Amino acid sequence: MAEIKLENVSYVYSEGTPFEISALEGINLTIKSGIVTGIIGHTGSGKSTLVQMLNGLVKPASGKVLIDNKDIWENPKEISKVRSRVGLVMQYPEYQLFEETVRADIAFGPKNMGVEEKDIEELVLEAADFVGLDRELLDKSPFDLSGGQKRRAAIAGIIAMRPEVLVLDEPAAGLDPSGREKIMQSIIGYGKSTGASIVIVSHSMEDMARFCDEIVVLSDGKLLMSGKKEEVFLRSKELVSVGLDIPQITSVMNMLSQSGIKVASNIYTVEDALSEIYKLF
Amino acid sequence: MKSITLGQYYPARSLMHGLDPRMKIILAFIYIICSFVAKNIISFGVLFASAFLLIALSKIPLSLILRSVRPILFILAFTVVLNVFWTKGEVILFEWKFIHIYYEGVMTALFMVVRIFVMIVGASLFLTYTITPIALTDAIEQLFGPLKKIKIPVHEFAMMMTIALRFIPTFIDETDKIMSAQKARGADFSNGSLAKRAKVLIPILIPLFVSAFRRADELAIAMECRCYHGGDGRTRMTILHYRARDFLALIAMLLFFAGLLALNFLKIGYTM
Amino acid sequence: MEKENYFIKTENVCASYEEDDGKSCEVLRDITLGIKKGEYVAVLGHNGSGKSTFAKLLNMILAPDSGKIFIDGVDITREDMTEKEVFDIRRKIGMVFQNPDNQLVATIVEEDVAFGPENLGIPSDEIRKRVDEALATVGMTDYAKHEPHRLSGGQKQRVAIAGIIAMMPECMIFDESTAMLDPVGRKEVMDTIDLLNHERGITVINITHHMNEAVRADRVIVLDDGKVYMDGTPEEIFSQPQKLALAGLEVPQCTALIQALRKRGIKLEGECTTPEKCAKLIIDALGGSN
Repeated sequence: MAEIKLENVSYVYSEGTPFEISALEGINLTIKSGIVTGIIGHTGSGKSTLVQMLNGLVKPASGKVLIDNKDIWENPKEISKVRSRVGLVMQYPEYQLFEETVRADIAFGPKNMGVEEKDIEELVLEAADFVGLDRELLDKSPFDLSGGQKRRAAIAGIIAMRPEVLVLDEPAAGLDPSGREKIMQSIIGYGKSTGASIVIVSHSMEDMARFCDEIVVLSDGKLLMSGKKEEVFLRSKELVSVGLDIPQITSVMNMLSQSGIKVASNIYTVEDALSEIYKLF
Repeated sequence: MKSITLGQYYPARSLMHGLDPRMKIILAFIYIICSFVAKNIISFGVLFASAFLLIALSKIPLSLILRSVRPILFILAFTVVLNVFWTKGEVILFEWKFIHIYYEGVMTALFMVVRIFVMIVGASLFLTYTITPIALTDAIEQLFGPLKKIKIPVHEFAMMMTIALRFIPTFIDETDKIMSAQKARGADFSNGSLAKRAKVLIPILIPLFVSAFRRADELAIAMECRCYHGGDGRTRMTILHYRARDFLALIAMLLFFAGLLALNFLKIGYTM
Repeated sequence: MEKENYFIKTENVCASYEEDDGKSCEVLRDITLGIKKGEYVAVLGHNGSGKSTFAKLLNMILAPDSGKIFIDGVDITREDMTEKEVFDIRRKIGMVFQNPDNQLVATIVEEDVAFGPENLGIPSDEIRKRVDEALATVGMTDYAKHEPHRLSGGQKQRVAIAGIIAMMPECMIFDESTAMLDPVGRKEVMDTIDLLNHERGITVINITHHMNEAVRADRVIVLDDGKVYMDGTPEEIFSQPQKLALAGLEVPQCTALIQALRKRGIKLEGECTTPEKCAKLIIDALGGSN
């Protein structure tokens, strides 16, 4: 499976105009294959630019993006091949639906990739299953679906390309708790059953703590830290200082240890906190 | 994408920038009439010079203005050809087979070029370079307000302009996002024949239309919630006030107009 | 229940909307509620629970199928509501929506804030005063001359709030106004909402599915399947996680932790909805057991 490496990557917006903004500066990063990587950072930290570099939508101003040690910009004409290997689900992806039926919309990606007609149907059905979209809905117009269903249909459109790396920018934004849960579970499910790597951008530290193996923290276009989630959440003070949250439970545990109670510091789910605190009584 | 600016407003502190937007509309109107008043070589000469005086008064770089004239070069060339070859007169300058070029034709062509140049420069100076689109909209609403009495929907027109101006950057932004999203699904917008390219626009246009309707719907409800009910009984926070300089500018423009009329009585050279 | 005591009062309100295929879909059933002047209410419910419809009934964007709605003692479901009365209701009950882009009308921040008062026909100098004051309240004075499309999501929402404040409302409804914002923007908006309620005494109805926002209210109403499913203080509501889960909602992590500990037989006094309170409860309990 695919490992993505960023080597000294930088990007500047509106270069040469008074509005010039440096979006990313000297990023060195490896996104390991087969695991779930979370990217966090406040708005304007360069997250969105970074994820658009992973599939070649944005070309770095300097530095290299390597997939399995091969520079993706070596042959710019081949860039569309990268886009099917690294599937990107943008923010509010339901706004990109356009076909007459959900089925045709999910098939758009595979079709562009040149997949043969007879194989497309298979991919569409599988993708719909991955996101938990009822097969009956496939013949409906995407515009008749509910908000959560639209979101799932849009994600299925990327999954149907069978990417080796599935990148999602705020996949659960604006959904209610049960909608969030369904989306997150199906994304993780796709990774587990196909072995694909998952990259998730999210503001929800609770989700990040629950689902990710590794976490990348961006601040003002620079890489603040990256590594195992345990290591990242250990440095909660630094996270808070750049305007990020930490999981609610982690801040409770921090408050406990500050008042002299000995508790482990790598705790961010209710279950772990429960057994840790229960021991104390 | 946050750097989008609409119109060609050129920020500067000049005599022209400082005028009331409504007065700019009035002055632009009179100036365009002036360009039709000129009849002989002297008045056209004065008219031509006046355009450069206006440019100087607006503090806008000459190069910028000349660049904006470039798109109409074709029209100017067409005017020249039309007048030079087809105007019949008395004094022949050049003759070859069926081509007859008269002195009158050359002069008419020259006058027409000056007239179009002056109109374009005048209109763009008064109505685009020194005025923001939103100020222009406001000025139109307040200047033509009285036309509401004869059922011309001035307020509605101004409101439409305002909303369009407000949402154009949003839609440019959105187009960009949708294009990226479809590219991520393997859509190719750069290659292929014209027919093929028209077809690949569908995945952009449909989401864009859907979004436009959704936005329009939500905006309409939000406006209703803020008690919008058309122009009746509506007041404005900023009411424009003419100042002394506006009237001075008007007097200057009228004097210029009268001067051009007077110059037409001089019997010099060819008269249009 | 006496009407006079409530700023907003609904009696057996039912509402439905027509789907594209002509089927009528019931969204609200038999809603009877009273909201007092100055109250801070959070309305929770999963997508499609009828929250937004409820909000739109209150300022007459939608009309109920049956039932009565009283605003400040006025029956707004009367047939003979005049246009002036409708505008008066909409002025009293301001509404801020989800998408910050789709509620700003003008190309300059202060012009947008002036939009509402202009519609009300208020004299120019009074509008000027109100606009300046409203922008100061939401902390956007420095941005008065900016173009809305260059602002962040949180800033846009604050401008939208200022646009409502300038109309001098007595009640403000926030219809998932933080759903599209990042944590920074969400905090900006939530702090503004708190301020409006605490310092201006404006009645607030915050429709949301963020539990961490709901805990800031004095009262939480949970809608499910078009009915009032739960109604009480945040502590009362969040102490019933199973019941909430049935409505597709979850309790904040801290509340869940305290309840799980209690289930295991640990005595913890009181309820909690914030990390601070949660830590304090545990520390107190440990102190007692040692």
